[in-house]
Amino acid sequence: MDNNMPQAEPIKVKLQPNIDKIRKDLGNSDDIVIREIAFGVARAAIIYTDGLADKKMITDFILETPDQTTERDNLLEALKELAQKLGDYKEITNFQEIYSSILSGGTVLLLDGCSRGVSASTQGWKDRSISEPISQVVVRGPQEGFTETLRTNTSMIRRKIKNPNLWVETRQIGKVTKTDVAIMYINGIVNGKVVKEVRKRLDKINIDGILESGYIEELIQDETYSPFPTVNNSERPDSVAAALLEGRVAILVDGTPFVLIVPTLFISFFQTAEDYYQRADISTLLRMIRFISLFIAMVGPALYIGITTFHQELLPTQLLISLAAQREGVPFPAFIEALLMEITFEILREAGIRMPRPIGQAVSIVGTLVIGQAAVEAGIVSASMVIVVAITAISSFVITGYSMAISVRMLRFVIMGLAAAFGVFGIVVALIALVMHLCSLRSFGVPYMSPFAPFIPDDHKDTIFRLPHWAMTSRPRLISQRNIIREQMSRPAKPQK
Amino acid sequence: MINSTKISLRQFTILTMFYTIGTTILVIPSSLAADAKQNAWLAAAVGWLIGLLIVYLYISLGKLFPELTLFGFLERTLGKWFGKLVSLAFIFFFFTGAASVLYYMGNFMTTQVMPETPLGAFVLLFGGLVVMGLRLGLEVLARTSEILFPWFLILFTVSTLFVSPEIDLEKIKPILDVGMKPTLKAALSFLGTASLPLVAFLMFFPANLNHTKGAGKAFFVGTLLGGIAIIIVTFMSISVLGADFTARNMYPSYALAKKINIANFIQRVEILMAGMWFMSIFFKTTFYAYGFITGIAQLCGCKDYRPLVLPCGMIFISYSMIIYPNVVYMMDFDSTVYIPYVITVCLLLPLLLYATGLMRKRMEQKPSASE
Repeated sequence: MDNNMPQAEPIKVKLQPNIDKIRKDLGNSDDIVIREIAFGVARAAIIYTDGLADKKMITDFILETPDQTTERDNLLEALKELAQKLGDYKEITNFQEIYSSILSGGTVLLLDGCSRGVSASTQGWKDRSISEPISQVVVRGPQEGFTETLRTNTSMIRRKIKNPNLWVETRQIGKVTKTDVAIMYINGIVNGKVVKEVRKRLDKINIDGILESGYIEELIQDETYSPFPTVNNSERPDSVAAALLEGRVAILVDGTPFVLIVPTLFISFFQTAEDYYQRADISTLLRMIRFISLFIAMVGPALYIGITTFHQELLPTQLLISLAAQREGVPFPAFIEALLMEITFEILREAGIRMPRPIGQAVSIVGTLVIGQAAVEAGIVSASMVIVVAITAISSFVITGYSMAISVRMLRFVIMGLAAAFGVFGIVVALIALVMHLCSLRSFGVPYMSPFAPFIPDDHKDTIFRLPHWAMTSRPRLISQRNIIREQMSRPAKPQK
Repeated sequence: MINSTKISLRQFTILTMFYTIGTTILVIPSSLAADAKQNAWLAAAVGWLIGLLIVYLYISLGKLFPELTLFGFLERTLGKWFGKLVSLAFIFFFFTGAASVLYYMGNFMTTQVMPETPLGAFVLLFGGLVVMGLRLGLEVLARTSEILFPWFLILFTVSTLFVSPEIDLEKIKPILDVGMKPTLKAALSFLGTASLPLVAFLMFFPANLNHTKGAGKAFFVGTLLGGIAIIIVTFMSISVLGADFTARNMYPSYALAKKINIANFIQRVEILMAGMWFMSIFFKTTFYAYGFITGIAQLCGCKDYRPLVLPCGMIFISYSMIIYPNVVYMMDFDSTVYIPYVITVCLLLPLLLYATGLMRKRMEQKPSASE
């Protein structure tokens, strides 16, 4: 459809020209149904999109027509009355409104001899039922995930936060797709400046279509030229509800189960929903394991390269001898060896994701047996290298935020290159550069590395450590700047002595 | 942009500490032991105490006109043209400082760690890192220091703790045997590398701190901590390696780290310990270069120093490769020329400035009082 078409043209009085115009404008599309019926003394047209509107509702509606005694002038009122039975209705006066109604699942009723029509909401399309989130699995915790329908998603959040201060703003983005995008926040907790900024950035978007929240993410993020994600996403209503309670803003996009959360900090990618459902001490341990995994995933192969190439003295003699024996027949320097294995592994991983599911098995067999064992036996790579690559790969799965895990995968190669040229010196330089880059990032005005830098002692209750719920009395200071008290200091109830 | 940047007092303390430690931690035990022999650690302590006095001078200087940086101060007190002329002295000091610290870094790597890699490679990589930091700005550097601080602390503690079994107290005896003169001379070289270069911090102290109140304390605490770290390292070098070996070794701390032994299994981890020197040297180079580049920017009347970072960076990186023709020259320069030079620029000049600044302030206040 051409965007520049003057759609705000008013509806004509006669029915037939209206129908002709709709047919013409929509290119005679087969799924647009126009049914003409006798409505009392006049003729009327019912227009809806097959598959988007609930046919049963419409059929029920058609059965009820006013008797012949109703006067012509009162027919519109009668129509409205009937439309009211269907649900919300709206009086419409121009073609723009007709199209936006029928294309989003509504039904439009036009009356002969009347330049106004009625649009009723009869949305009833097939959608996926609520199922377990695939990308963020928990052992303990709610097992429901968002679906592709915006309304279902907002209702799932509302079911968790029954508070009049949970506000939803919806707008349509995308000149062609007219995708519904909703902003959700808790008024009174959220930082008003962030909401304003979100609105401003969303309004600035001028694109033909939004098919997934990734489009929005890329269009509103603070820094494009950074490997690190400054917008988090979640498939879990409980994670989004928790984010809202901390004073963040959720951006829901129709057509995708992935909800965006801003502002996002570096630490957000290491917190999972389950951390808050299981015992605090275990959560703390798991958090630490995640940080160690981040370190291994990022510099594991680089350290191996650096040490075996430049700093052999670092290894205990026994280990050094066994390593040297393994590497004896390997024709490549450590860096090339590592690069080969890492790239092979990345290919395997990518194949595993894109393959049709039944073939996935075959890929893993090829991966483990052929690439792993055969490569070692053939003397192309050393066994220790396979171990390093394997532990690196497993570590990168531990990082809970998928978007963070892929950045780490990418950075690993850069650090490997520096380690191959400069050893540990190169690794330290790379890490300092990385820390500087991280410190320069902001997500909707909030420093990305807070509460580490700037250091905020109070916010460390939920970073490396996860304190018991009774001790987490305040919200993250820089996110919700106004209302930071979460609960009064309260010890858990204890048995009376 | 420059003046709107604010860093917190905690960040400033950490920066001061990193800057004080800088290259000092790597080289000072050697030059201290050369003069003060087994009393090198005492000389370090003496230097440290005098250093606190010098920091007091810098704090008073900064507080005269808290809203101005060093170069703004110079123009305010000495007039536009004479002020600019004097600021050249500081700019040159920072310039050579940045270049020489880079050279130290490269020299350390080529002589101790990776002898086959040319000096230029290290200097270029490290200089590139410094340029990146400067382009990102003071605020980012301050935050970076906050994140690196715990890592520095861990490495420092580990290295100190696991070398401590090797301490032989016989090696520091006899205490107080070395005369006053060598001790003072050693203390001077401590001052020259650790305390006096802190003048570079006047480039943003206290103008870019979020609280003027307590800024002096933050400065003190930073130097205090940095000084303690250096005294500890000096003490360890002397007591583990002995005064003689420390004096002859160019990088005694590195030799010290080689002695680390954890359960007879983790040994020779000196390159991991070197990570902490890379951090501290990074901050030292960065703030020398910061002084140099913001100085040039203010000299030319630029509002923002960032466009100058890359060209100035190229200059000091390439200069660092030719600043000392060889190590012998460097050691000779450091022990003969450098100390009088640093005292002139970083002690006598600030003293004079303080006096003129005080007079200028009196003069400015008098008319306003009579109004």
